[in-house]
Amino acid sequence: MTAQSTPATVAAPATEPVKAELSRAARFRRYLRRHPSVAVGGGLLILMALIGIFAPLLWTTDPTAISPSRRTRVPSELYWFGTDMLGRDVYSRVIYGARVSLLVGFSVAVLASVIGLAIGLFAGFIRWADGIIMRIIDGMMSIPPILLAIALMALTRGSIQNVIIAITVAEIPRVARLVRGVVLSLREQPYVEAAVANGARVPRIIFRHILPNTFAPMSVQATYICASAMIVEAILSFIGAGVPPATPSWGNIMAEGRALWQVRPHIILFPAVFLSITVLAVNLLGDGLRDSLDPRLAKTL
Amino acid sequence: MLSFVVRRIITTIPVMAFVALFVFSLLYIAPGDPAAIIAGDQASPADVERIRASLGLDRPYLVRFAEWSFRVIQGDLGTSIFTNLPVTQLIAQRIEPTLSLMVLTLIFAVVVAVPMGVVAAWKAGSWVDKAAMGFAVLGFSVPVFVVGYLLAYLFALKLDWLPVQGYTPIAQGFWPWLRNLILPAVTLGLVYIALIARITRATMLEVLQQDYVRTAQAKGVAQKDVLFLHSLKNAAVPIVTIIGIGIALLIGGAVVTESVFAIPGLGRLTVDAILRRDYPVIQGVVLMFSLVYVLVNLLIDLTYTLVDPRIRY
Repeated sequence: MTAQSTPATVAAPATEPVKAELSRAARFRRYLRRHPSVAVGGGLLILMALIGIFAPLLWTTDPTAISPSRRTRVPSELYWFGTDMLGRDVYSRVIYGARVSLLVGFSVAVLASVIGLAIGLFAGFIRWADGIIMRIIDGMMSIPPILLAIALMALTRGSIQNVIIAITVAEIPRVARLVRGVVLSLREQPYVEAAVANGARVPRIIFRHILPNTFAPMSVQATYICASAMIVEAILSFIGAGVPPATPSWGNIMAEGRALWQVRPHIILFPAVFLSITVLAVNLLGDGLRDSLDPRLAKTL
Repeated sequence: MLSFVVRRIITTIPVMAFVALFVFSLLYIAPGDPAAIIAGDQASPADVERIRASLGLDRPYLVRFAEWSFRVIQGDLGTSIFTNLPVTQLIAQRIEPTLSLMVLTLIFAVVVAVPMGVVAAWKAGSWVDKAAMGFAVLGFSVPVFVVGYLLAYLFALKLDWLPVQGYTPIAQGFWPWLRNLILPAVTLGLVYIALIARITRATMLEVLQQDYVRTAQAKGVAQKDVLFLHSLKNAAVPIVTIIGIGIALLIGGAVVTESVFAIPGLGRLTVDAILRRDYPVIQGVVLMFSLVYVLVNLLIDLTYTLVDPRIRY
């Protein structure tokens, strides 16, 4: 009896934290079940990130190694996705290409969000600056984003860093405008007025009352920026204004496959599928986040 | 009304001024010294200086901006470094294919997207709605050139229904012109359809909950009239707005679509100019596209009163 009861009494307190842990995991599982697009999009995105991180381990060879003797092979057991015009292994290039796309997507999303947030908060709070900033934003938004990025890329040499900067500059106006709108509506909220009446200084109002409320719309916006940045990167590389041609990026692989697309369509097909799936994953994640953060919008959009 | 029109036109002036300043600065900070390029390899530094002075390149930034703006207003966008032709002439040569492509895409996209959004809103939650919105997410996710190559492979290479690439001027007949533009227009239209269909559905969902819609249904108005007359008219303003804003997508997409389908339009001109670092051409194209974009949206703003008579200024 005692031998049996002792483990039970010992185990009893131990189950308490395990239960709490389980319920948190269960809550997360329920959230994912209710928002399947977050689960699917997030899952695919994690998969792509893993592919990018572990690219050297995924049976790849040097993605830049040129080999004239094995040019334009069709997919085979040896070259899973075939080879391109310079004899480079398309499979290795596509797998390594995940790094460039994800790097550009995430960097642009983070940079454009942070800078746009700062500009939006500034414009929303400092009245005299608002008019000037909004006119500049109107001006920048009247240049179609891809053209703006193309124009900036024309000034510099192609590098991943310059691509990130060019796309970020093209995306900032949209974020700034969104944040400014949120700030202007939040300023009218009673709790902000109460804080002002209590004598709270501007920095405290911004960081305590305004900033936390911009996170929900911002996180949704950031995913859409990430998706759009990956597409713009591919377009820039595709038309020869993006990352250097030797760098394995999905846009570059497709640009190289262009001349041969009628006879060797697989060179374009494989990077196209990877790019589309990645962008789809980010868009699904964004839609799911939007629905879960704003249930009112979920019904309409 | 007249005062609104005047005010609205005046607000576009600072916007265009900013665009002009940006585009001018592009050439100003562009690498490469135009005076040295024109002088050639044999020229002495003194020759380069003389050419620089004769071109006015030694004057201050703002003075040069003022002079440049003055020339642009007169319709002089400078000379292409590569072909030595006036940029306005280059643009004029290339405008027909791009204009044809964009107008055709616009018509195609609106004709498909608006009914799609209306039906999706009417049957909200049904498989029709889910299919339409799933299509919209796909449209946002698959890059333009991927769609282009897929369609070209399927309908031109495999099925041989339509020409693979190229462009036929409309002067050589309507059907040859249209045949060459069907695939590019469908390609370019996909993102645009996704955008318009989403906004149409969202707006229609709101309108369909209004009392007058219930009244119309109660008194036995045919369903298609309830949807397309009573409701769509009231949903028109956001839809027309997004059609205008989406022109930016069309302009960006046209650059890529023209590359895929080898259409000799402004997009090709831009891509070639980038590869050759022909800055005056890049400048001219960006300036012209932005002007078109601003003017289209200005026109759309002004038509709100026609679309919705309740709006008064």
